[in-house]
Amino acid sequence: MDNGQGFVQRNYFLLRRLHSLTGVVPIGAFMLIHLTTNSSILWGAINGRAHAATPIGRGVETFQDEVSFINGMPLLLLIEALVLWLPIAFHGILGVVFALGASNNVARYGYQGNKRYMLQRLTGYLGFAFILYHVATLRWGWEWLTPANTAWSHYFATSTLAAALKGDGGQWTVPGIIVSLGYFIGVSALVFHFANGLLTASITWGIAVSQRARQRWGYLCTGIGAVVMLLGWSALAGFVFLVDHDEAHQIERRMVELKYGPEFLKEIEREHLHRPGMEAAAIRRAAEVPYPGPAPVIRE
Amino acid sequence: MSNTARGGVRARNVIFRIKRCEGPGKPSRWEAFKVPVEPNANVISCLNWIAANPVTIDGRQTTPVVWDSNCLEEVCGACTMVINGRVRQSCSCLIDEYAPNEGDTITLEPMSKFPVVRDLWVDRQRLFWGLRKVKAWVPIDGTYSLGEGPRETPDHQHDRYVMSTCMSCGCCLDACPQYHKEEDEGKWDRSFVGAAVVNQARLFNEHGTGRVLKPERLDALMGPGGLDACGKAENCVKVCPKNIPLVESIAAVNRAITIHGFKRIFSGK
Ligand code: HEM
Ligand code: SF4
Ligand code: SF4
Ligand code: FES
Repeated sequence: MDNGQGFVQRNYFLLRRLHSLTGVVPIGAFMLIHLTTNSSILWGAINGRAHAATPIGRGVETFQDEVSFINGMPLLLLIEALVLWLPIAFHGILGVVFALGASNNVARYGYQGNKRYMLQRLTGYLGFAFILYHVATLRWGWEWLTPANTAWSHYFATSTLAAALKGDGGQWTVPGIIVSLGYFIGVSALVFHFANGLLTASITWGIAVSQRARQRWGYLCTGIGAVVMLLGWSALAGFVFLVDHDEAHQIERRMVELKYGPEFLKEIEREHLHRPGMEAAAIRRAAEVPYPGPAPVIRE
Repeated sequence: MSNTARGGVRARNVIFRIKRCEGPGKPSRWEAFKVPVEPNANVISCLNWIAANPVTIDGRQTTPVVWDSNCLEEVCGACTMVINGRVRQSCSCLIDEYAPNEGDTITLEPMSKFPVVRDLWVDRQRLFWGLRKVKAWVPIDGTYSLGEGPRETPDHQHDRYVMSTCMSCGCCLDACPQYHKEEDEGKWDRSFVGAAVVNQARLFNEHGTGRVLKPERLDALMGPGGLDACGKAENCVKVCPKNIPLVESIAAVNRAITIHGFKRIFSGK
């Protein structure tokens, strides 16, 4: 016990402050950007540069455009590892260690602050599990954990995401309902965790000291939390309820074709269709559907 | 003849369920007592009655219940215990509020974060040890007179006054989810000191003469068992009987530590 705790104990100040810092930057800042990008499935409807006939089609275009931009970044893997995976692993693992050292007493002292303290730890655990599932299935290729063995592809960002959330060809399945519900819980938990973390971080660093200053900062954090929650929920609602899988797939094919040429499209489609367990039939079906509306925008 | 007082509360019988323990390391057990209470009685007066009549509710003779108390006016903190699940002073705990009706029950337990000496009496040494750890005093010992102290503005004095009202009762520690019971004295140094000690460090950091020890206090609070163990549950400020703004003190000391930490990094010390 003493030996295991030795390192943590000796560097408690540094670790604790780094834990707080990583929660806000880069992890919190990333989550903000991430949910803004993802909610483009809805706000893309008013993107003047998108051309699809339906509002959700314009969302699909905009989201695809954003995803392509991110995936076109140089040294993406390095950036991901340094700015995301390392800090999240650090914050998450240390967070679990800290959370295990709590003796919750909400039953006795049911004050609002104590409930937030308990929820901060609970949402930490939930968020940890959710992030692991989220990254493993969509980034590390653990397709077997998705409802219909879907491999997410950044060329077909919306359609494969809808399938990974709901099931085969973006149709509802029972595992899909469970996964979508899990996303709802996971996203909500992490947004709460982030907003409440901003509030407590002001105590950790001594930024808001007086009762009044902390109260004002609390209102601001509530506001920030509400906006980010809305971003997260609207993204999820867009992918789960509003997207038409086949329409989205057609738009994405067209965008790939325009950007990289028909040969490349054939190549990646072949690659996709031959993956074991891929939702091949659904994609083949989607590829037959006539293209909806005018050509989409493509970023250079 | 009237024996009613305060909102029509009458003399009545109240059941006291008390968690008892013969001594350090001994197992604890529950005993119940039926106490006839007068209007305006408090927990200590009922404990006095039990001490004079140590017979349980089912008629069994037992030992008198032991507790600690001193001032009987909520300024010493000695009588702190857990009443109906929440920590507070027992001398200021009025039965009329807790048990207004015949047969109502009040539950008494010793504080949960300190070693029990006997029954409701605990040993709060660790709190005082914490005050020594952060040097919560004004250093004036020496071989010659230091002359007059520095001047205080009334505003500053007003801010510091409330911090100085702490009676080291330990309520803020008992309710803190980050403060754990630690009987082994050797481990106190790496266990969280708690809000009361942080508040006292702030009180003396902001004292004109006391501030010469500020770097040492902040060093102590940056180390193991220091302020970084606080999890911001804010129970401390809710249960403090003196209404000391403990979370404000925590944030203020954290701010001082932030600045102190950067200074140390850049001065290489
Ligand atoms: C996207 C993911 C996450 C974000 C944005 C995030 C953000 C934050 C922020 C801003 C804080 C405030 C730090 C402070 O109080 O000074 C915090 C605290 C905390 N986080 Fe996270 N966090 C995330 C994931 C996790 C995970 C996966 C865990 C795992 C259990 C976790 C556990 C904790 C705990 C226990 C605290 C409280 C620390 C304290 O008491 O000071 N967090 N988090
Ligand atoms: S704010 Fe800190 S010291 Fe106060 S009860 Fe919460 S964890 Fe304990
Ligand atoms: S700060 Fe308040 S609760 Fe804590 S020991 Fe002092 S008086 Fe008691
Ligand atoms: S006896 Fe001093 S506070 Fe109760």
